Amino acid sequence: MTHGMDQIVIYEPDQRTGLGFVASWQAMIQNVVNSRELIWQLFKRDLLAGSKQSMLGLLWIVLSPLLGIVSWVLMHEAGVLRPGALDVPYPLYVLFGTAIWGLFMAFYSAAASSLTSAGGLLVQAKFSHEALVAQQMAHTVTVVIVNMLLLLVVWGVFGAAFHWMALLFPLSLIPLFLLGTGIGMVVSVFAVLVRDMSKTITTVLGLAMFMTPVVYAADVESAWLRRLIAWNPLTYLVGGARDVVLEGRIAHPIGYAASVLLAASLFLAAWRLFFMSEQKVAERF
Amino acid sequence: MNDSLVLRADHISKKFCRRMRQSMYYGTSDVLRGMMGWPSCSGSLRPHEFWALDDVSFSLRRGERLGLLGGNGSGKSTLLRLLAGIYQPDAGRIEIRGNVCPLIALGAGFHPLLTGRENIYLNGALLGMAMRDIHGRFDQIVEFAGIGECLDAPVKTYSSGMHVRLGFAIAIHSNPALLLVDEVLAVGDSAFQDKCIEKVLALNRQGTAIIFVSHSVHMVERLCLSGLLLKQGKPLFLGEIRECIRRYFDDIGREQVTNGVVPTTVGLGKVLISEVKVYQHETAPEERRIEFGKDFFIQFAYRFCGAPSRNTQVRVTIKTFSGRDVQKFVLQEGPFQGGRLYQNLKLVSLEQSGTVKIKVLNPRLFPQTFVVDVAIALVEKSVHLGGLVNAAIFNVVHPGSADHYLEYGNSTVTEFDYDVAHTSDAVIKLARS
Repeated sequence: MTHGMDQIVIYEPDQRTGLGFVASWQAMIQNVVNSRELIWQLFKRDLLAGSKQSMLGLLWIVLSPLLGIVSWVLMHEAGVLRPGALDVPYPLYVLFGTAIWGLFMAFYSAAASSLTSAGGLLVQAKFSHEALVAQQMAHTVTVVIVNMLLLLVVWGVFGAAFHWMALLFPLSLIPLFLLGTGIGMVVSVFAVLVRDMSKTITTVLGLAMFMTPVVYAADVESAWLRRLIAWNPLTYLVGGARDVVLEGRIAHPIGYAASVLLAASLFLAAWRLFFMSEQKVAERF
Repeated sequence: MNDSLVLRADHISKKFCRRMRQSMYYGTSDVLRGMMGWPSCSGSLRPHEFWALDDVSFSLRRGERLGLLGGNGSGKSTLLRLLAGIYQPDAGRIEIRGNVCPLIALGAGFHPLLTGRENIYLNGALLGMAMRDIHGRFDQIVEFAGIGECLDAPVKTYSSGMHVRLGFAIAIHSNPALLLVDEVLAVGDSAFQDKCIEKVLALNRQGTAIIFVSHSVHMVERLCLSGLLLKQGKPLFLGEIRECIRRYFDDIGREQVTNGVVPTTVGLGKVLISEVKVYQHETAPEERRIEFGKDFFIQFAYRFCGAPSRNTQVRVTIKTFSGRDVQKFVLQEGPFQGGRLYQNLKLVSLEQSGTVKIKVLNPRLFPQTFVVDVAIALVEKSVHLGGLVNAAIFNVVHPGSADHYLEYGNSTVTEFDYDVAHTSDAVIKLARS
């Protein structure tokens, strides 16, 4: 056994904050690359453990969005909802809307709970905490794939027109991933320090759904709600992804581009925060 | 860093905050400063912060074994977490060559629903092992853990011993350059403990440096050549392990003596005991520090409230701090019925009042803290006329220049020889007048 060739590791105060901008990004990416085996193991753990414990297993991934759709459609049929003028059948609209929103929330909550759910593990072993987020993301992506297959089936049932743009649908989900994960990572760090942080943000995001045209069309009558919708980046990100499939175009390209930019920068900033605070977080457990 | 060095810790410090609210505020501000790339306020203390580890420096070469000693809250676990890279130091610098294996929490990240086989890969990945390494050492791990046919059963069906054994087996096969052992060798049955120690020492012979933390000082003494003594985060001593242990216990002893014991009066109250002292040099009767193997004195004064009783028996007992009797001195006015005597008995007849001074000759009390009880009773009757329990406390310490090592806390009992001097106050008065 030789240790002579081993590399030297150094621990110092402010080690990460002392890194330059470029160096810190290199370190962050390196961290994730180095942890790929751990990410895979953690991913496998959650998938296996989750399916071992439940009777319906992975079927839940299909069941929960399906139940959601049924309830919205029933409300619509009963005349409770007035979604406004739509170009596509309402069930399809609400199905894609809620599925895309659900996806955003899934990315958010997976990232937000990554640190607190790991709990004591953070002080028991040294590993890149990004692995926890990445593993949660991988888990969420599997849910997304199942969801998309389900959407495909419903889409076929309603016999909606096919647009070539629809093939870009998976890509249009990336900004939602960036935004959801970005907010989630910020929350995960602060949730360790201030326990009610994640509860607050989760509630706020729950409310945000009603300020986003998910189950209704964007041209609402109320002026203040219209303004809120216009300034809400989720309007463009959720709407854009839905437009791509159902209509083969993005209705508000400028708003969409600005929202994508916002989501990307938030994600990068959040990752940096996450990286810089890794050891501060471990101390809080 | 020199080639043979595995670890160098240079003036490392770590602080924590005692108050939850402040800690929330500091944490948030530190995180935000870090985000902006500003240095944190790590060098100095803010209100309600304290140094959990204060300016600790040491280094380890390949194949060295260092014991970490100190009471609760002395900073041992904090130091290990710093070395494991879980915490970041607030001052100083740590350099480590090669990978560190912290045996701090065995089986960290085990999922109860997954099988032993699945958990081996998971835990290995968490310890930073590559999949192919785990694969290559898989059979060794399973064999060492001795879980055999349970390999494909969920870990939640394992006994706690199996759980720990598997955790240990995985960690120990990670080919570490530095092994941090925190109290974990005290788990499992004794056969497995021995196996663990064997394995740790085998790694050590191959060059792995080891840091041991254990409250079992005998274990540390057995395994380490050098020791680091911590107290409230500060390094008190770094050097030869026995000297380190000696100082550790001196420190404990000093604290016990300072905190003292509460003297309690017992018996019928017919005689009062006072001014109980234990000392080595008559010039410094308040010293309470007795050097091993050298004669010392136990002295007390007594006074009968009424007429002095006849046929008295004085019992002076030395007991350990935890209450075990070690030595009894019995002074009687006369022998028991039939003329029998205790082997260690001296004949002394008490007066109305006086002072008894026992000189313990060539004592063999091993280094530790002792407490003295004094009681006066009647021969053949077990009722105390009066007495004082926990009347005095003293420490036996290692001789400054010992060429042999004395085990701390050994309470082997031997009968000591002693002399006794009794001065009656009446006699003194007469002599004066």
